[in-house]
Amino acid sequence: MHRLRALWMRLRGLAFGRRQDGEFAAELESHVTMHTEDGIRAGLSPEEARRQALLRLGGAELTRQAYRERRTLPWLENLLRDVRYALRGFRRNPVFTITAIVTLALGIGATTAVFSVVDRILFRSLPYAHDDRLVSVGLVQSLEKQEFTLGGFFYEWRDNQKPFSSMTFEQGVNACNLTEANPVPLQCARIAQTFLPTFGISPELGRNFLPEEDLPHSPRVALISDGLWMSRFNRDPNVLNKTIELDDHPVRIVGVLPKDFEMPRLQPTDIVLPAAMDVAAQHTVNSGIGFPMWAFARLKPGVSIAEAKAEMEPLYRHTQQWIPAEFRKEFLLQIRSIHDRQMQDAYTAAWVLLGAVFAVLLIACANVASLFSARGAARERELAVRSALGASRGRLIRQTLTEALVLSVAGATAGCALAEILLRVFIAIAPSGIPFLSTARLDLRMVLFTVLVSLLCAGLCGIMPALERPRASALVARSTNSGAHARLRRVLVVAQIAISVVLLSGGGLLMKSFWNLEQENLGMQTRGVVTVRVPLSEARYTTTQAYMHFYLRAEEALRRLPGVSAVGMSDSLPPDSNSWHSGTRYAEISVAGKPPTPAGTGGTVVIRAVTPEYFRVLQIPMVEGRGFTEEERRLSDHPIILSRMLAARLFADDNPIGKHIQQATYNPYITLGGPVYTVVGVAADVKNAGLAGQDDPEYYRLRRDNGDDWNPHAVILLETSLPASVVAPWVRAQIAQIDSMAPAEIDTLAETVNRLADRPRFETALLGFFALCGLLMAVIGLYGVIAYVAAQRTQEIGVRMALGATRVDILRLIAGEGVRLIVLGGVLGLGAALAAAQMLKSLLFHVGAHDPVSFLAVTLLLAIVALAATVIPARAAMKTDPMQALRTE
Amino acid sequence: MAEKTDVWQGTMTLMVLRTLEAMGPQHGYGLARRIEQTSGDLLQLNYGTLYPALLKLEQEGYIRSRWGVSENNRRAKFYELTKAGQRRVRKAAAEWEQATEILARFLAPAHEA
Repeated sequence: MHRLRALWMRLRGLAFGRRQDGEFAAELESHVTMHTEDGIRAGLSPEEARRQALLRLGGAELTRQAYRERRTLPWLENLLRDVRYALRGFRRNPVFTITAIVTLALGIGATTAVFSVVDRILFRSLPYAHDDRLVSVGLVQSLEKQEFTLGGFFYEWRDNQKPFSSMTFEQGVNACNLTEANPVPLQCARIAQTFLPTFGISPELGRNFLPEEDLPHSPRVALISDGLWMSRFNRDPNVLNKTIELDDHPVRIVGVLPKDFEMPRLQPTDIVLPAAMDVAAQHTVNSGIGFPMWAFARLKPGVSIAEAKAEMEPLYRHTQQWIPAEFRKEFLLQIRSIHDRQMQDAYTAAWVLLGAVFAVLLIACANVASLFSARGAARERELAVRSALGASRGRLIRQTLTEALVLSVAGATAGCALAEILLRVFIAIAPSGIPFLSTARLDLRMVLFTVLVSLLCAGLCGIMPALERPRASALVARSTNSGAHARLRRVLVVAQIAISVVLLSGGGLLMKSFWNLEQENLGMQTRGVVTVRVPLSEARYTTTQAYMHFYLRAEEALRRLPGVSAVGMSDSLPPDSNSWHSGTRYAEISVAGKPPTPAGTGGTVVIRAVTPEYFRVLQIPMVEGRGFTEEERRLSDHPIILSRMLAARLFADDNPIGKHIQQATYNPYITLGGPVYTVVGVAADVKNAGLAGQDDPEYYRLRRDNGDDWNPHAVILLETSLPASVVAPWVRAQIAQIDSMAPAEIDTLAETVNRLADRPRFETALLGFFALCGLLMAVIGLYGVIAYVAAQRTQEIGVRMALGATRVDILRLIAGEGVRLIVLGGVLGLGAALAAAQMLKSLLFHVGAHDPVSFLAVTLLLAIVALAATVIPARAAMKTDPMQALRTE
Repeated sequence: MAEKTDVWQGTMTLMVLRTLEAMGPQHGYGLARRIEQTSGDLLQLNYGTLYPALLKLEQEGYIRSRWGVSENNRRAKFYELTKAGQRRVRKAAAEWEQATEILARFLAPAHEA
């Protein structure tokens, strides 16, 4: 208590030191005066009395010193003095200071922001107990690359497997409705009873399902999400055993899921219900392979994923018997960590970003290092003087470290602000496909790490001159001799240039790839096309007939709208290949009069069910034959239009018009049960496998006015000359007239397509940004070195000019130094960039990883900017007045 | 006359506080002389060390200071005990008595023997 008070008083002493110094001087003076008076009274001469008084005091100055040390905190006072000294130095040298702070801020800001994003992707831990032991188990095939499984397989696997301590599954998340007063649309997941225990999730409230509740026809129970508990029940603990109405069925709540609960496939979920699977039926339902499901398992301790896969392989081969023989070869067993499954291809982008950002940090560090080294060299004489005046080595080192610390703190503060801004920008421009980005927060550990790194850079380079024993020659030498510093800085500049070449070439490649993507011919018109989707409730539209009636009425109503020139309908839309669309295998298309194609060859074929005006709205031209007609919609014929690619594949040079095609099905032998289609036309190819994907062949069926041709998948396309914002309210009004409960989702096709390019746009923007940051800093570093060299050689230049060197000679002399560094850095960088470009391969579209144009452009850009950074100080040197230069000596 | 001893470590505080308690407000020089007198001139105080000690006590809140006028009409800084200081004197004196008593027991038998 009293000690604390003393500490506080000493801190105050720091602030009011000067006044107290004066006061103590007065006190001492009064002491000496009284002592002297006593001495005189005792018979001493005044001089002797005063001498005695001072002697007994033990020296006035020493006393003052002891008093001052007690009054304040000496170490803190020293530190403050160092800081003040550093600040004074920085004020005198604003260019150095601003450059250092900007460099640090960019380095710290960019690194922290990107790391905060990437951390969630690469290193995020999942909200499951021992999440590294959890895997996703299933089948993959060419049409479905995300592993899934089927009831017919799962139970056999579960009962006979060895590598897992437990296996479980979920059956996906579907829309469901809370049909009570105040109905709410919700997302309901169906999970196995073993799901929560396998994932190590314990309910926040209540309990998991009991095994008997997970049986068919058992009373319905549910766990609700924390969000639903909050929004619907206001966190009422009495929610347990409450009965709610779910799609008109009573369901009893038995528990509340923890706040951080998430499905392993990241679907948003409000309610989880027991799957209540009929295990015995799994070999009879769905053509004997069981219901689709997604299986997950927990590895036994010590078992790796590869070992688990090896152990599961025989079991998988045994269950292959359930797959029709023709496809067996196409299905493969896949086991991977849940983490991998969630992140998919975000990995590559994340690593590239992380690499880019560390490159920027490296450049920033090199810059700070070279700045401090230059400063150290310039201050060699000052240090020598201070050392000669008695400053200890430790004192000088402390002083230098303080400077580095002050700069780092300033840089870190600016960097944090920058990071926060960058992070917001990232989140704003990022595509929705990057998982967890919207929840990314500034990572304080990363801030700390980058600050430490930059402090280390600054500290090491600053300390070096202080560590060297200040040479006596530094005191007398007219120009400082700092060859070691200059060499270090040249090495740093070469490294910076090299790293920025790597960054720039990466940015260049992505930029070119993005350009290609934007310029890609879609094969269809997107401008002036408005799409309308109406998610109809399955509860009220129970037959395909009902769907058809709704959409036919909608088509008719929308046709009457002003400004709408055509209305087409389809079950799916190009070019996105990830959204729902119908498809088949090439080998399953059988042409009348031709031998069947061997199973398992030819890849996939996209199928679209469209109305005649689909081609008109999207302006897809017919290459041969004709389009569908409105009359055909009411006939029972089966006309079909092939894409040019499919026609060429099936018929080569023959005329496909009028040919008959049938869809083969394997059940269990090849049968030709479906309708016989007649080819009426061949349409031009449309991009149908994503913007960057390799196009698939495609065929169009006519969606006739017949319930059999309809299903819940439907999208209406409007061709309109009016802006979407004008049309949208009219469309909504028309849809509401048909069904007041049906919401209409209205988009323009151009926007939808644009969104597909969000991801590459994001990657390109980020890498481009880093590349420019890196280049900027490298150029600053180069400029600094050349300017320094020029300044150092001022006298030499003066002498040379006096001896008859022309200004051009001087320019060549100074710029030559820069050019050497640029060439060396450039060559090293190009080599590294060519190697690093391999990493980018999967992100590139129609650009080779070693695209010569991109690399040439990058080299040129660097050469121009770097030369400019060299020529400016060199020109300044060229203008040196020889008389002036010689006189400064 | 016995050889003059220096002040032992840690005893200065107690001497200052005790003297202030006995004499009331006192300036630094007077305090120093008084301590020497009380010791029967056996102690030789280094006056220079007195002031940091006073400052420490003041920082810890046991004494406070104000400027006043001495008996000889000199401007001087006077120190006086605070409430906390009075408590501290009592406590320290008791502790010190105990300590010397213990030490005395160690020394006594050897003396008698």
